[in-house]
Formats: sequence, C-alpha cells, structure tokens
Amino acid sequence: MQFGAEPNEFSWIINLAFFAFIMIFSLYGQKIQMWQWLKQIEMGLIELKKMAVESRQTAIDTFKAYGRDVEFIAKEIDRWSDFFTIMPVDLDPSGVLERIDHLFEQRSDRFKEFVAELAPEATDSEKLSLENTLEVAQVLGLIFRIVRHFYILGKKTGSTIIVMQVQMQMPELLRLAKAYHGAIDAFAQGKPIGDTIGPLIVTKFAREYGATPDSYVQEVTREVGYYKIDVDRRTVYVVRATGPGGTVGKPGFAIKKLVDEHKEKVTRIITIDAALKLEGERMGRVAEGTGAAIGDIGPEKHAIEQTATEQGIGIEAIVIKENEEVAVGVMDKRVLDAVPEVIERIKSAIQNRTKEGDYVILAGIGNTIGVGL
Amino acid sequence: MGALSKIIGLAIAAAGAFLLWWGLTPEMEGLSLILFFLGIILMSIGSSILFSGKSRSEKEEEPEPPTVTELQCQNPNCDFKEIRDFEKGDYILKEMEQRCPKCEGTMMIEGIYIVRKEEEKPEF
Ligand SMILES: [Zn+2]
Repeated sequence: MQFGAEPNEFSWIINLAFFAFIMIFSLYGQKIQMWQWLKQIEMGLIELKKMAVESRQTAIDTFKAYGRDVEFIAKEIDRWSDFFTIMPVDLDPSGVLERIDHLFEQRSDRFKEFVAELAPEATDSEKLSLENTLEVAQVLGLIFRIVRHFYILGKKTGSTIIVMQVQMQMPELLRLAKAYHGAIDAFAQGKPIGDTIGPLIVTKFAREYGATPDSYVQEVTREVGYYKIDVDRRTVYVVRATGPGGTVGKPGFAIKKLVDEHKEKVTRIITIDAALKLEGERMGRVAEGTGAAIGDIGPEKHAIEQTATEQGIGIEAIVIKENEEVAVGVMDKRVLDAVPEVIERIKSAIQNRTKEGDYVILAGIGNTIGVGL
Repeated sequence: MGALSKIIGLAIAAAGAFLLWWGLTPEMEGLSLILFFLGIILMSIGSSILFSGKSRSEKEEEPEPPTVTELQCQNPNCDFKEIRDFEKGDYILKEMEQRCPKCEGTMMIEGIYIVRKEEEKPEF
C-alpha cells in the first residue's frame, strides 16, 4: 500500500481526516493540554480534600475525650485552622533571628492557650500531643486550600503558567500530605514517630550511665531539660525535650544556656537528629559530620553555632537517615535498629575527641512524643 | 476485573493487528486504507485497555501495618522479650507493672514501631 500513489474513491476521507487532525492539534493543542492538567489537579485535589477532612475529624475525635462537646470543638478547630504567622521583615536583617524567635514563642503561647481551652481535662503531656495533632490537621487543611486556590484561579484566568506549576508540583504535594496524614494517627495516640529517634538515642545512652527519670533536670529552657552523667570521667549533659508528650522544645537555647553556665569547661557539643535520606539510601543509615544538626527555622541553630564559635567548642552531629513518611509517621523498625550503632559512635566521639575532666553536651534533637524520660 | 480486561485488551489489539495486516495485502486495493486505519485505531484501543492498570497512588494505598510494642525484661541475666499490639498509654522506656513471667523481673518498653514493607532495592 502506498499513500497517494494511486488515488481511489476512499482517499479523500484519509486526506480530510489528516487535515482535521493537524488543524485540531495546532489550534486547540494547548486547550487540550490544559484540560488534561486541570483533570490531573482535580484528582489530586480530591485526595487532598479527603485527607484534610479526615484529619480534621481525627482531631475532633481526639479532643472530644477531654471534656468539651463535639460541636464546640468543631467550631473552634475551624476557626483555628486559619491561624497564621507573619514572618518578620528581612530587608533589615539585624536581629531578625530574635524577632523570629519572639514571633514563634507568641505563636506557641497561643497554641497552648487554645489547646487548654479545647481540652481542659487533658494532662500537660497530653496537651502537648494534642497540640501536634492540631498542627497536622491545620497543615493538611492549608495545603488543600492553597492548591484549590491555584486550581480555581488557573481555571478562571486560563493561565497556563499557574495550572502548569500546580500540576508539576502535585506529586510532591501529595507525598507531603500523605506523610502528614499518616502522622496524625501517631500524634493522636501518642505513638513515637521517626523524628523521635534523636531524643530516644540520647535517653538510652544516658540510661546506660545510670540516668533515671528522676535525675532529669526539668526546664532549663521551656520544655527542655537534661541528665547529668559521668562517662569515662567526662561530665556529659544529655539534653532533650521532656516527654512522653509530643514536643520539640528549644534544645538549641538549652545548649547555649549550658555553655554560658560552664564556659570554657565545655569542649564538645554533639547533636543527634533524624535527617532526610536521599532516595536509594538505606532507611536508618547512620552518618556523622560537623555542625549543628537541628532543623529549626534558624534561631536555635544560630545560637548553637554562635556560642560554639565564641568559646571555640568542637561541634559535631550524628544523623539517622529516614524519609518524610517515616520522619512524621510511626517509628520504623529499621530506624529503631540504628540505636546501638549511634550509641557506639557517641561513645567513640567522647573517647576520641574529649579529654578526662571535660564537659560535653550531648543533645537529642527532635519530637519526644512517645518517648519516656 | 484485572485479568479479564487484560484479555479483552489483548483480543482487541490482536484483531487490530490482523486488520492492519489484511489491509496491507495487495488484493484489498481500495479498502486497504480503511482497513489500515481501522487496524491502527483498534490496536491503540486494545493496547490502552491492556496497559491501563490502576494508577500508582491507588496501588500504594495498602493499610498501614499494625504498630507493635516490644517489652523486654530488665534482668541482665534474662532475655525475655514480648511483642504485642500497641495500646494507648504506651511509650518507649515506660516501666510496666506486669512482671517477667520467667524471672519476675521488671519489664520495660524497649520500642514501639511498625515494620514497613521494604522499599525496592535500588538498581545501583
Ligand atoms: Zn526476666
């Protein structure tokens, strides 16, 4: 068969179809593409909405056990879901970290006040976990509302660039939302999450050297305390947030405070934290390096670096690699299995890089939900 | 549902391939173009049915494995371990009221975790 070689009675159909095809795709190709993208965003939105609604429901169900009726809780949670924090001006960067810290302190106060109002019968530890539950529900609601905004805006204006951007970011957004959606169950029930590995490791380390829940010194800074232990004739301050309620506290400022107290006696700061693993890396892989492993927005990390630099203190970090799903979801066995290895590395760090009589600060960074003192 | 749609898809694609081949035989002359396009259309419909599995996100939605609590006897000479379902109020390093059935030692929660499915081994 050869096209056009010998024209016959049907060839006009083929020609017509061919030209129609070219016309449709050159004139409406973009429209078809847009339609396809919008459909894909729609599918994602349905899923995001489902997760947002479910997490709101979980939050309501969790709160209702603490002495308020469901209607009141639902109304208040909806009111709260819009709570925002305005980041400070960074055009004039001087003192921006203090301002950030101040704002986040305020935010945290408001959260506490709100949780206390919604769950008057909860214990302090439960209140902390409730705060986390609320935060997750809020994040999921926010993701849904932002994506919906761009979807409607893109549809309304027919702007390719808006629709394209959302469509391209959708898989990443869905992955993030799924991770948080998985986390809400952990927070609501007080299960340890992947991020708790830092505090867990330092606590187990401290226990090996005789620390007990009673020897924990509460509140060096808000919600953070320490165990003071003796490791091979070095004095080690093991810093972690209180537990087993879910809180991250401000370990960075606690470290600074301890250094300020003991000045030149402190010769080493070791931070233990969970870190995001690269795709293809093994879950629960342990890595070490230099610097402060702490994932705050800036003030705490700055405080550690500043104080370490001023006093000439060695600063090192050991991280345990995990993905987002595990970091905010229930603790994974493979991550937990990394505990002995990290403890060994801490011991060798203390033995090899500090002298007898030195003061060492060992900080477990991360949420402490489900990890006892 | 899965296997049936695969069979139907395969059948349609095969029919399309046959039409295509038939259209290419010299005897068909005028009809050959029609058969040719019909064949291509059938093959594409068939293959789209054949390869349209569930979307990836649907596949991933397996229920999360249960959270378990691992209890261990604190007596250094005893290696008794118990793994049970997570109960509300459990936390790691919690000292339990229940005693070790082997040596009456104190039991403590050593870990709370879930065993997730292993990710696919990377090719590199
Ligand atoms: Zn025992």
